[in-house]
Amino acid sequence: MATAEAALFQESTEELISGSEAIGIACALADVDVITAYPIRPYDTVMQYVSRLKADGAFDLDFIVAESEHSQFEIVKHASAVGARTFTGSSGVGWFYAFEAITVTAGLRMPVVAMVGNRALDDPGAFGVEHNDALAVRDLGWHLYWVATAQEALDMALMAWKVAEDPRVLLPFALSCDGSFLTHSQAIVQVPAQDLVKKFLPDYQRGKLQLHPDNPITVAPQVNEDWLMEIRKQTDEAMRRTSGVILEAHEEFREIFGRGDPSPFIEEYMCDDAEIILVGMGTLAMPTRVAVRRMREAGKKVGFLRIKFFRPFATEEIQKVLGKAKGVAVIDRDYSYGSPSFGGVLFHELRSTLYPLDERPKMLNFIAGLGGREVMVRDIDQIVETTQKAVDTGKIEQETTWVAVRE
Amino acid sequence: MATLAVEVVYRGIFQKTLARNIVRHIVFAARKDGKIGTAFGRYGDSPERNGIPAKQFAIVADTPLELEESMAVYEASSVDVTINVDDTMCKGIESWAWYGLQPINELTKPGGTLIVTSRQDAASLIEDIHQKDTPYNLAIIPSTVSFSGLWVYKDDHTDMRALGALCKVCPELVSLEAMLKSIKEQTDSDAKVSSVQRAHDRTTSRPVEPGEGNSETPFSFDLPGWKTMEEGLVIRGLPAGTGFRGGEEGYTPGRSEVFKKWSTRSMRPVINFDTCIKCTLCWLQCPDTCFDVTSDGLYDANMESCCGCGVCEAVCPVPDCVTMVSETEFTGNDSQWDAWTADKDGYNKWMTVLVEKQKDETRTHGFHHVGAYADDISAMEDA
Amino acid sequence: MTTVQDLPAIKGVKNIPLEELYSSGHRTCQGCESALVMRLMIKAAGPRTIVLGSTGCMYVANTTYYSTPWVVPWMHTQLGSSGSAATGTAAGLSAMMRKGKMHKEPINVIAFCGDGGGMDMGLSAISAALQHDEYNLLILCYDNESYANTDIQASGGTPWGANTTFSPPGKEIRIMNNRWKKNMAPMLAVGHPNVRYVATACGSYGLDFNNKVRRALTIGGPTFIHSIDPCPKGWDYDPKYSHELGMLSIETGIWVQYEIIDGELTLNGPSRSIAKGIRKRKPVEDYLMRQGRFAHFTPEDIKYFQGKVDETWEKWWLPGVIPISASKEE
Repeated sequence: MATAEAALFQESTEELISGSEAIGIACALADVDVITAYPIRPYDTVMQYVSRLKADGAFDLDFIVAESEHSQFEIVKHASAVGARTFTGSSGVGWFYAFEAITVTAGLRMPVVAMVGNRALDDPGAFGVEHNDALAVRDLGWHLYWVATAQEALDMALMAWKVAEDPRVLLPFALSCDGSFLTHSQAIVQVPAQDLVKKFLPDYQRGKLQLHPDNPITVAPQVNEDWLMEIRKQTDEAMRRTSGVILEAHEEFREIFGRGDPSPFIEEYMCDDAEIILVGMGTLAMPTRVAVRRMREAGKKVGFLRIKFFRPFATEEIQKVLGKAKGVAVIDRDYSYGSPSFGGVLFHELRSTLYPLDERPKMLNFIAGLGGREVMVRDIDQIVETTQKAVDTGKIEQETTWVAVRE
Repeated sequence: MATLAVEVVYRGIFQKTLARNIVRHIVFAARKDGKIGTAFGRYGDSPERNGIPAKQFAIVADTPLELEESMAVYEASSVDVTINVDDTMCKGIESWAWYGLQPINELTKPGGTLIVTSRQDAASLIEDIHQKDTPYNLAIIPSTVSFSGLWVYKDDHTDMRALGALCKVCPELVSLEAMLKSIKEQTDSDAKVSSVQRAHDRTTSRPVEPGEGNSETPFSFDLPGWKTMEEGLVIRGLPAGTGFRGGEEGYTPGRSEVFKKWSTRSMRPVINFDTCIKCTLCWLQCPDTCFDVTSDGLYDANMESCCGCGVCEAVCPVPDCVTMVSETEFTGNDSQWDAWTADKDGYNKWMTVLVEKQKDETRTHGFHHVGAYADDISAMEDA
Repeated sequence: MTTVQDLPAIKGVKNIPLEELYSSGHRTCQGCESALVMRLMIKAAGPRTIVLGSTGCMYVANTTYYSTPWVVPWMHTQLGSSGSAATGTAAGLSAMMRKGKMHKEPINVIAFCGDGGGMDMGLSAISAALQHDEYNLLILCYDNESYANTDIQASGGTPWGANTTFSPPGKEIRIMNNRWKKNMAPMLAVGHPNVRYVATACGSYGLDFNNKVRRALTIGGPTFIHSIDPCPKGWDYDPKYSHELGMLSIETGIWVQYEIIDGELTLNGPSRSIAKGIRKRKPVEDYLMRQGRFAHFTPEDIKYFQGKVDETWEKWWLPGVIPISASKEE
């Protein structure tokens, strides 16, 4: 329905769409130039939607069906080098197949935006959500954001190009979306009009770094030990600069679209006077909020902190929120075999975040919801109970607990 | 003594096996003196490019602890002996992986020794070698420079001669007795043992005083920092070329300001401009874009870019129009076309002498055909 | 599809452009034929060109940080990515020009790869690139018959029996590399019927090389050229013979020079006169014995090698693909 689709972008509308479709619409609103696709569940629902938009004449782009994830990411990397706005994505082992290309994309400072439909890593093959796929890029210079709703998926996609393409940043942006819960379930989403988006999102200008005969440069020559420290430092500085750029963009977004949390980095839910704070990422927010509400009704001082940006990590903001709590329960939808306390990745980040504080809360880690298993309200209750015990006794019997795992 | 270090400076690939043999035999021999040692190549020089200068080191100590002390710095910053197995590198070296010209004696300690394989005399070598502000010694192994390739080694005992000379100039590093014993054990070749002995007995060294030698300041390059380097791993492309030296006619290619091929050459083409038929082949087939096309349509090899491969000589259809001449014959890098246009007779005389001399030059650049080395070797044995 | 540049065939060596777009600043070996191939390639393509280079000698030795031999825009791509680099660059340009985000003009896109990056790791991405009829791009495989940059390891392009650091002749086993060289150009020509131009080339024939690059860039759509590049380092010979060994590879019939334009096969250079019976093939021994990498060959090895090459000429026209017959050439 070309006309219907086209109409979609002329004025702000309300649509019933999945998180993947929301990002697909964001691609069209952002007038992305090159998108590469390769099939793998669950992320590729976004590509099915984009190809449909193109087929219906609602979206003018070069849509390339690559022959592998590696090529998918290499193609957009090179399109980005000549100044094209790009989007791609993958899931699970597909994301890993592309890993070489994913690494160099950040090294080359290409503002590619990618959707990661979080999926458990093989073997065994599994379609359900786990966060280990996206988390693998945490050290490479990628922005890493965990989306919780379809609306947030659309909004953050627009933010992603705005931030990634900022000349002060030029670093790629990964939008992590929990498989199934976000990629395959539909919700009501406010879709802004294209001219509104144009106001928010300027064209991508690579300037003096653009690969073009009018700007004859050599990009990424081989280096030896005389140079690499300096090059790594440049990327480190860009990652340091991006937090300020994110704040600017976030304020502008709220102004233009009239939406958005107070902070772009974290979401605080009933944290102010909370003695125990649960921490998690992505769609986990829904059952957790419900559980927190119920416990509050029962008079328990419990709150929930959702980490949105995993990179850059909002160290000080998070210290402020968690520093006040007596107990912190970190829910990881990932694992890190053999790591300190055999805990999850988020747990390790938070423990090192709180280490500099004079007064540190008791910290417990809970591995939950692997392979797409649902995290139930009763699981959250259990988690809080265990944490409460540690707070009351001042003793942590077990730092890491696998939630609802059969023995 | 505590620890002694030796560096072997060589032409990449062509002399890789040669250099490796030298540093390994030093360590083996040192064991015979009850010492301990290590041998390694400069990692930054690998992967090696053939003809491009590279280094290997041998470090010898009385005890493992002393050795560890010296190994705390991976690449030796000073050495007791520098062995240079191609005298054309006396003009200085630039590895493919670093910037700036390093004098051949840069690492040679005060009072240390520079050993050179050469048919030149000390005076003409010192003309090339950059002066130092501390004294050192120069020893010459009178033999033809030995080049071979990656797979077939030209076993002409150049390694043995270098080892013999080393035992003479630095017996405290390894004694002749230990070396002879070790070589016999390692190679089981009496011929090699006597090559070591002969080189040892023949080697003389002469002191080089501070300030003696080549006075030019070697090209140096200051590395910029992360604040001044362009982001996105970007560097600017080369400037476009122009007409010959900016004129209307001919062509001068744009050339790199930061890397010149001075030290990558062991030979250079000498052009007979009078017999040139302007067939374009030398220019067309040059992998290094080294020929300037002059305003009169001739081809002038620009020494900034020439790495001395000799393809131009090989493809030239005119006898003696292009002749590869040993780099030892030259001090400057000036344009031959300039010299020729300024004084044709003078240039042709100079050229003829060089070309004639070249006919007895035994320097070769590696493998020609199966079995070829055998003849060269027997020839050198008698030398 | 964006239009292509007007790059007419060059008539005679005297008319080869003087302009150099690949100059000093590279740190390749003495007598590096692949460096010559880069120079001839961009000389033919001209300044309005973007070059993508996958990992290999022509990356590491060519562009050593802070120095570059390229006058034109150049960018590194990963070892197996020459196909993707060309596709992505062409796609970016075409999308932006179509949408009015970039000034409309035909810009040549050339991606090069070595035999390792092209014939081994990059094969699937090259195949995919050759399916994109809507993009004008050239993929050039400079084949020096080993992973020459990283220490001369055997690749799918290494000749049978050649000495490499992964196939050294030993006390027990003399022939460690038992694979016959991949038949790259025909494989791509046959597998991608819409590709209008596939050719083999050799830098020893400079004018021919220039014109092959020009035909590839002007015919439109994705194209492929496979170049045989003598490598003094890995093949082990005096660098001055790079040019001669390139010619010998063809005169012995080991390398066949041809173009496949819109499915029509034409042999050129010595390969053509050999096919027509105008000149005889030189024995492969003349070629093999000039290189240290074959120095361990016994007469039987040479005989086997000769037999395989004879078979190519006597049984096949387009090596391994189309049956041979002298009349085919008329």
